[in-house]
Amino acid sequence: MPTRPRPRRYPARYSAFSLLRHGLAGDHLVPAWRDRELKNSYDVVIIGGGVHGLATAYYLAANHGITDVAVLDKGYVGSGGSGRNTAILRSNYLTPEGVRFYDRSVRLYERLAADLNYNVMFSQRGHLTLAHNDSSLRTMRWRAEVNKLEGVDSEVVGPAEIKKLVPYLDVSAAVRYPILGALYHPPGGIIRHDAVVWGYARGASGYGVHIHQNTEVTGIDVAGGPNGRRVRGVRTDRGDIAASTVINCTAGWSTLVAEMAGVRLPIQTFPLQAAVTEPVRPFLDAVVVSGSLHVYVSQTDRGELVFGASVDPFAGYSMRGSLEFVEGLAGHVLELMPSLAKVRLLRQWAGLCDMTPDFSPIMGRTPVDGFLVDVGWGTYGFKAGPVSGEAMADCVATGRTPDIIAPFGVERFAEGRLLGEKGAAAVGH
Amino acid sequence: MSMRLGPQPGEVLDRTRPFTFTWNGREVPAYQGDTIASALAAAGVRVFSRSLKYHRPRGLLTASFHDPGCIVQVDDEPNVRGAHRLARPGMRVRSQNTWPSLNFDVKAINQLAGRFLSAGFYYKTFIRPRWLWPTYERVLRRFANGGEVPPEAAGDYYDKRYAHPEVLVAGGGPAGMAAALAAADAGASVLLVEEEHQLGGHLCWGDEADLAALRGLSERVAAAPGIEVLCDSAVLGRYEGNWIAVVQRTVPGVAERLVKVRAGTLVVASGLIERPYVFAGNDIPGVMLSTAVRRLINLYAVKPGERAVVLTGNGDGDAAVADLKRAGVTVAHIADARLGDDIVRAHGRGRLRSVELPDGRRVDCDLLVTATGWTAPAALLTMAGDRPVYDPRAARYFPDPARLPEDVLAAGGIAGDGSLDELLAHADAVGAEAARRATGAGDGPVPIPTLPVDAHPALFRGRTHGIVDFCEDVSSTDLVQAVEEGYRSVELVKRYTTVTMGPTQGKLEAVNAVAIVAEATGRSIGETGTTTWRPPYVPVTLGALAGRVFEPVRYSPMQPWHEAHGATPLVAGAWIRPDHYGDPHAEARTVRGDVGIIDVTPIGKLDLRGPDVPKLLNLLYVNKWSKLDVGRVRYGVMCADDGVVLDDGVTGHLGPDHYLMSTTSSGAATVWEWVENWLQTQHPDWQVHVTPLTTAYASMNVAGPRSRELLERVTEGVDLAGEAFPYMNVRTGRVCGVDDCVLWRIGFTGELSYELHIPAAYGLHVWETLMERGHDLGIAPFGVEAQRILRLEKGHLIVGQDTDGLTRGFSAGLDWAIKLDKDDFVGKPELAWQQEAGEYPRLVGLQPLDGSVVPEEACQIVDPPRRADRRPRIVGRVTSSRMSPILGRSICLAQVDAHLAAPGTQVTVRLPDGRHIPARVTDHLAHFDPTGDRLRV
Repeated sequence: MPTRPRPRRYPARYSAFSLLRHGLAGDHLVPAWRDRELKNSYDVVIIGGGVHGLATAYYLAANHGITDVAVLDKGYVGSGGSGRNTAILRSNYLTPEGVRFYDRSVRLYERLAADLNYNVMFSQRGHLTLAHNDSSLRTMRWRAEVNKLEGVDSEVVGPAEIKKLVPYLDVSAAVRYPILGALYHPPGGIIRHDAVVWGYARGASGYGVHIHQNTEVTGIDVAGGPNGRRVRGVRTDRGDIAASTVINCTAGWSTLVAEMAGVRLPIQTFPLQAAVTEPVRPFLDAVVVSGSLHVYVSQTDRGELVFGASVDPFAGYSMRGSLEFVEGLAGHVLELMPSLAKVRLLRQWAGLCDMTPDFSPIMGRTPVDGFLVDVGWGTYGFKAGPVSGEAMADCVATGRTPDIIAPFGVERFAEGRLLGEKGAAAVGH
Repeated sequence: MSMRLGPQPGEVLDRTRPFTFTWNGREVPAYQGDTIASALAAAGVRVFSRSLKYHRPRGLLTASFHDPGCIVQVDDEPNVRGAHRLARPGMRVRSQNTWPSLNFDVKAINQLAGRFLSAGFYYKTFIRPRWLWPTYERVLRRFANGGEVPPEAAGDYYDKRYAHPEVLVAGGGPAGMAAALAAADAGASVLLVEEEHQLGGHLCWGDEADLAALRGLSERVAAAPGIEVLCDSAVLGRYEGNWIAVVQRTVPGVAERLVKVRAGTLVVASGLIERPYVFAGNDIPGVMLSTAVRRLINLYAVKPGERAVVLTGNGDGDAAVADLKRAGVTVAHIADARLGDDIVRAHGRGRLRSVELPDGRRVDCDLLVTATGWTAPAALLTMAGDRPVYDPRAARYFPDPARLPEDVLAAGGIAGDGSLDELLAHADAVGAEAARRATGAGDGPVPIPTLPVDAHPALFRGRTHGIVDFCEDVSSTDLVQAVEEGYRSVELVKRYTTVTMGPTQGKLEAVNAVAIVAEATGRSIGETGTTTWRPPYVPVTLGALAGRVFEPVRYSPMQPWHEAHGATPLVAGAWIRPDHYGDPHAEARTVRGDVGIIDVTPIGKLDLRGPDVPKLLNLLYVNKWSKLDVGRVRYGVMCADDGVVLDDGVTGHLGPDHYLMSTTSSGAATVWEWVENWLQTQHPDWQVHVTPLTTAYASMNVAGPRSRELLERVTEGVDLAGEAFPYMNVRTGRVCGVDDCVLWRIGFTGELSYELHIPAAYGLHVWETLMERGHDLGIAPFGVEAQRILRLEKGHLIVGQDTDGLTRGFSAGLDWAIKLDKDDFVGKPELAWQQEAGEYPRLVGLQPLDGSVVPEEACQIVDPPRRADRRPRIVGRVTSSRMSPILGRSICLAQVDAHLAAPGTQVTVRLPDGRHIPARVTDHLAHFDPTGDRLRV
C-alpha cells in the first residue's frame, strides 16, 4: 500500500465549531459535493454511484492521486443497494479469505468518520447469530474457530449469555425453534448507510472527482478482436465519454452493464426485501440474526426496528414489496421477541442482489482490457464498501490485483476455485 | 376548564355512558364515542406530546388518525393514535418521551440550541475523538421518539381472514358509499372499508344538508344486500393482481385482524387530506387545520378555543368559521387567502398567544385555524402503477387514469372537485363500471363523467419558515439547507433531513416538502417529482401481520410411545424426534450386542413409477443404475451442477417400473423439488411419475445381531434367511399382520439391520409389537444420538455435516461411487474436472492420539506456525466427533487438505480453548468393522 498523501482541505470542514459559526452568522452552507460539467473524456469512469463506486473514486484520489475520475449514476447517489440495505457491518465470515477481507472493511469503517470528516455513525453494539439446531450451532462454532484464528473477535455463547445481551429474546425451550446458542461478534453493528455514501461523495468531490447523477450508461465501447479486446469508453444518455479504464460497480444491474462490454458474468439478480417499524424507545443494542427463521433485526438510533430476510426465491428486477414477505417476517420476529406484537410496521421496500454461485463477489480484471468489475455483492455489498474501494483503486493504480481480492477473480469459475461463503452469507446479516 | 359543548346535531357521543380514564395519572372524564384526544381536549388539555428534536410542546393538528401531535402510550401499547383510538374506561394513557413531565421537559433546552441543530448536524459533529462516539450515541438514543415496549408479551389474540369481493371500495365517505351502492346494484359483492369509526367521511362534520345526505346514504348501504362494511379498518396496500391487505380493528376479542382480499376491482375513494401551512410557529399548540376544528366541534362537541384567527383559502375554511361562531368561539380575524391575505407567524410558548399579520398587527388569540389546501393520498393508486400529475391551478396532485390498470379506479375527491351531487354521480358511474369489470355483466363500459377541477391558491409556505414534518421536527429551513448543501433530489433531501420518514409517512407533509425543494432548487413542483409511497398505507402491528403464529410440527405415528418412554426431543427441521431415551451410549451398545429399534420416519421417500425411472436415476445419481434387478437396493449419491454433494440415500427396485427412493431427512423436500425440476424442465418427455411418501410410511430400523431373529417372529411371506434375503436387497411383505410393508436390508449403523416402511396408520402397532416380541432378545429403542455414534464408528458420512456447501464428490470420499464413464449425469463435468485437477481436500477418519479427548465438531486442523507471532494456517476441520462406547476412545471424521490425507499422517487439532492436540489419520473412514462383515451375516 502506498503512503497516504495528505488529504486536501475540504471546502468546508465539519466540526461543532463550524456548526456554531453557521448558527451564529447564518452564512450560506457549502455544497457537500459540486455539480460539474460532463467532460467527453476521463482517465477512469466508474459506473454506479453507490458506496462501491464512490469509495473506489475516493481511494483512487486519496491514496493514488488519480483524480480525473467520473462516477456515473442513473439516479441519485446511493439510490440502489447502498440506500436499500439494512446497514449491518460484521466480519465473522466462514472462509479465511472472507474473514480477512471483511475484517479490513470493518477496520476502515471504524476510522471512516475521521478519514472523511463525516460522521457515518458506526455503532459497534455487537452482532448475534442465533442457532436453533445442532447443525447451525456447529456452523457457528466453525465460524468462531476460523474467526479466532484470523484475529477476529467471535465466540459461541449460550442462552443465558444471550438473554443478558438481548433481554427481549425468548430463550425458553418451550418455543417452536428454541435458541441453543449464538455466534457473538462484538465488533459487529450498524451504520448510517446514506452517510457513508455522502461522506465518500463529498470526499471524492473534494479531490476533484466528478459525480454525475441522473446519467445513465447506455453502452460500452470496446475495441479489438477475439484475442485482445480493450475498453474505449462509455455511452450515456448525456453523451459519449472516452476512458481507458471503466469500472462496473452496478450490483443488481451488473450483468446488464457487463453485457454492454461483451462480458458474461455468472450472476443472477434476486430481489431482497426489508421493512422498518415506527420508532420505539431503544431496547435492542445488538444486531440479532436467525438463519433458521430467515430474519434479522436491529434498532437504529432513531428507535426504528429494521428487519430483513433472505432473498426472494425467484430471480427478477422487481423492487416492490410483497404482502407475504411482511406476514412471514412479522411471524418470525414475534417468534423471537413475542412482546413486539404491538409495534407497528411503518414501511417495506425491496432492493436487488447480484448473487454468485458461491456467495462471494467477483472483483478485478475481466477478459476486456481496462474493463474492471466490482460486482456479485449479493446481500453483503455494503459491508465491503471501503475495502472494495481501496482494493479496486489499488488494482487500477498499480495494474496488479491486490492479494486481498485475488481470491475473488472472475477466473475462479473457470478454474474451479469457488469460495464457500454460503454458510456465513446466506441470511448472515 | 371544560371545553365540552352542548349536544351537537352530528355528534358521535353517547352522553348516557360517561366514564373516566387516566392521563399521566390524572382522571379524565369521557363519553362513549370520545377518542382519547377529544376527551382530553374537552377536559382542557392542549399539550399532548413533545416534538422529536427540540421537545417543543405539541397540540392537536388534524384531530384525525394521522395527527402527529397526539401519539401516546396506552397501557403497554406504544405509539397509539390518540385522535383516533376510542377512549375506554380505566385505560391508562401517558405522554411519550417526556421527562420529568409533559409540561416541564428538560430536553426542551434543545430549543435554545435549535439554530445549531440544523439538518444533518449529527453528520458534522461527534467525529473526534473516535472513542467518545459511543457516549454521544447513547445520548442520541435517548432522543428516540417513541413509546415503550414491554419486555413480556401481553398475549393478545390476532387473526386473519380471506375475502373475495368482486369490488373493494377503499374509503367510506360519500363517494365510496355511492360507488359501493352502484356496484352492489349492478350485482357485485362489495367490501367497503372505512378508516374512521363510522361511514360518511366529511359529511359527518358537515351541516344539516350534509347530515341528511349522510343518513340517506347510510340507510341505503345498510339495506343493500351485497355490501359488507368494515369500519375502523384501513387498506394497507395493493399488491400484484389486486391482492389487497386490510387491517380490521373491530372484531370482538381480536386485537387486530388482517383481511387478505383478492378483489375483482379496487375503487380508491380515499378522499383528500388537509395540508398544513408552513410558517413560523405553525406547531404551537392551538394551531389547527380547519378539518380538525370541524371534527372537534361537530363530532365530539369540543370547543377548540376561545378566540380564533382563521386563514382560509377554500370553502372548508369558510365552513369552519361558521362552525366556530356557532360553538361560541370569537373569530377575531379572518385572513382570506383567495383575496391575497396571509399570516406571518404565530406567537406563544406552550400555547398560542397571538398571530402576526403581514401589516405587522398582532391579533391576540388562542386558536389559529388554517385551510390552505389538500393532499391526495394517492398511495394505493401509485402502488397500482399510477404516477400522479401535479395541477398548478388546483395546487394538488391528481391521478393519471391512463397509467392505472383495468382493475383499479378512482372516485370522489381524489379524482376531482365538484358539488356533492356531481361527486355522487361520478362515484355512481365508477361503482357501476367497477362491477362491470369485475363480473363481466352489463352492456359495455359505463360512461364516467369528468369531474371539474376547482382553482385553489397555491399555499405551501408563507413568508416565514416553519415546521414541515411534524413527526420528525423538520423545518423548511432544514430543507433549504439540504438543497444548499447539494442534496438536490427530493429523495436525497428526504434521506438527509428525514422529512416524510416519520409515522405519517408523508401524508401531511410530502407535498409541502416537494414545494419547498422546488422553491429552493428553482424548479417547478411537477419537475421536482415526489417520493415513493410504499406499503403499508398506515402503520400496522406486527401482531396483525403475523396473525396466529402457525409453525407446523411433524411427528411420526410412534410419537405417543416415545413420549411415554421418556424420549428427549430433538428439533430437526420440521420434525420433532427422539434424541435419546436417557443413555445414548447404552442404546448404542444394545445395537452392537443384541437388537435396537429406531424411528426413522423423517427419512424422505419418493415413489417412482414408469419405464424411464432408470434414466432418471442415472441422471441424478453419480453412480450407475441401469442394471438393478428387481429386489435389489443400491446406495446412491446426488451432486448438484457444481459437483457439490447434494444428498444421499438408497433406492430400491420394488417391481416392474416401480422404485422407492429414500433421501436424507433434511433433504426430503429439496430432493423432491430437484427430481421434479429435472423432470419438468429438462425431460418432460420421460415417463416417470413421482409421489412423495415420506409421511405415508412410518419408518423404523431394526438393527443388531438379533434383528433377524426378531423379524422372523413377525414377518410373513418373506424368507429372511441370509442367502434368500441378502444385504442390499428389498422385499415386500406382511409385518406384524400389516400388509404392503417394505423391508430393506441395509445398514447405516454397521450391523445386520432391516429398515421397515409400514403404512403410517399401523406404525405404532408394529413398533409396539416389535418391542413386545423382542423383549426376551433384549430389544431397546435408540435415538438419533446413538445412531450418530454408530454411523460414525462405521465411518458413514452425513451430507451437510461431513460435507458442506463446497464439498465436491471426490472430497467426500466417494471415489468408488462416481462413475465418470457414464454418458452424462448432473455434476459430471465438474467432477471430471476435480479428478483431473487432483489436490482436493478429502474426508478421512481421524483419531486423537489421546483417546480420552473428544475435539468438538468444527474444531480446526491447523499447520502450527513456526514463529510465535504468526497465525496458524487452517488445513482442515473435524466434521464429526464422538466418544465411541465400543472402542472406548474418541473417533472423528475430518476434512483435510490433500497432503494430509494419507493414512497414518499426524495432524494438529486446535481445540476451542486454543490448545493443540495431535491426531492421526486412520486407514479407513470406518473406525469399527471396516470390512463390513457384521452387515453381511
